[in-house]
Amino acid sequence: MVEIRNVKKSFRKDWYALNDISLSVDKGDFVFLTGPTGSGKSTLLRLIYMDIFPDAGEVAVAGFLSSTIKKHEIPLLRRRIGIIFQDFKLLRNKTVYENVAFALEVTGESGRKMKEKVMKALALVGLSHKRNEFPYKVSGGEQQKAAIARALVREPFILLADEPTGNIDPEGSMEIVRILQDINTSGTAILMATHDVELAKRVSNNIVNLEEGQMVEG
Amino acid sequence: MFVIREALIGLRRNGVTTFIAIGIMFFSLFLFGLFLVGTFNLFGVIQAAREKVEINAFLGRELTDEEREKLSSKIKAMVGVKSVEYVSKEKALEEFKIEMPNATTLLEAVKTNPLPPSFKIKLEDAFTTPDKVSEVSEKVGVFNGIETVEYGKSWINRLDHLVRILFLFDVLLGVVIGFSSVFVVANTIRLTVIARKQTIEVMKLVGASEHTIQAPFILAGLIEGGIAGAISAGLLYLIYMFVSRFFVHFYFPTNSIIIGMVVLGLILGYIGSKTSVKSMSMEVSFETPNF
Repeated sequence: MVEIRNVKKSFRKDWYALNDISLSVDKGDFVFLTGPTGSGKSTLLRLIYMDIFPDAGEVAVAGFLSSTIKKHEIPLLRRRIGIIFQDFKLLRNKTVYENVAFALEVTGESGRKMKEKVMKALALVGLSHKRNEFPYKVSGGEQQKAAIARALVREPFILLADEPTGNIDPEGSMEIVRILQDINTSGTAILMATHDVELAKRVSNNIVNLEEGQMVEG
Repeated sequence: MFVIREALIGLRRNGVTTFIAIGIMFFSLFLFGLFLVGTFNLFGVIQAAREKVEINAFLGRELTDEEREKLSSKIKAMVGVKSVEYVSKEKALEEFKIEMPNATTLLEAVKTNPLPPSFKIKLEDAFTTPDKVSEVSEKVGVFNGIETVEYGKSWINRLDHLVRILFLFDVLLGVVIGFSSVFVVANTIRLTVIARKQTIEVMKLVGASEHTIQAPFILAGLIEGGIAGAISAGLLYLIYMFVSRFFVHFYFPTNSIIIGMVVLGLILGYIGSKTSVKSMSMEVSFETPNF
């Protein structure tokens, strides 16, 4: 599903953001990516959704290879994975419902089928009742739930989460993690980057610890 | 549907930037329109002046009808000659009297008609340059029966010189206005695209194709450009209505101006939005400060 083989990535001379990383995530896995700020967690996720490409090694995601993927194929890849961020990346001028629907509309979906999918995704994260609110009217935790619903609406095989609890209070964070666990139970793989090692340990024993771009024993 | 809706939402929810973009596009198009109308009228004046260019071929004596016909058709057959008109001694005198009413006493003193008969030769527009006029004159002068050939040499030289300078200045002005319009408009539209950078980011995130990302912006750019073009055409028309009260011959091809302004607006809107959204789409990356 996701296969990272001996990947190196550098943004400036004589310094590797990632150095010889190998990792695989399979169906149903819940993998944590831990490490301090600047250890390469986000870089690794960006390599998976192919916002950037490795200098050496290879990334394989859902049949797409980092070495051969064409520019016009990147959107196709992104439709098969869900991505959430610390800053939610919701559109301010759209309601919660519209934000989720947006992910389907950009590929031409509309009508009742789309509505059903959106409502299902919102129900999954427990946000149906806030669907007509604008993002700035709801709490951080609820915004992240909306972002999760948007990421799930296309039923991805994997959900990439980049510090999803970074902007949320501890209680809200646990709720987000619980939702991610529920999603995982239904078969969707989760790869979650966090600097909160304790939280990771409580949830999963599949933890990859990064330090200065290298995998170390956690 | 999605593209149209997103374009309209973008225009409405970024009202101020949309307004500024339309305003700046309108001003650029309006300036360019003024320049175009000015150019049309300038060339209209030049055209009128050129039509006044003529060669007078004076004859040694009055010709018989047959001789006159023969010579006239010979001249008419020459390259560059638009029309040939025979001016008899009597007609020449009449014209002289009309053109110089104060000189009648002079004529009365002479008693007989001293004016020679002539051919008044008009030339095709392309043959009104000093070189061509002199060339045709020389050829006409060779014909049997023609004594002297005259044309306003210095006047034609001056006209030619003026046309060249005006033409150069006009082209230069057109290029400057044209380029600055494109530059200003592209940058203005860029503002509207920057205002919606987050939308582009989210579209990329959820797997929208490059075409889907760009289309709403291009449509919005076309709408803005079209509106700006229509407004500038309207204002130009109002100006024309006003000016034509004072200058009857003011040239204003209404349909061409309206269509031209709207089409130019669409082109400006397209180029501006296409380049802006393309560069913005390439810029968008999900880099976080802590990679």
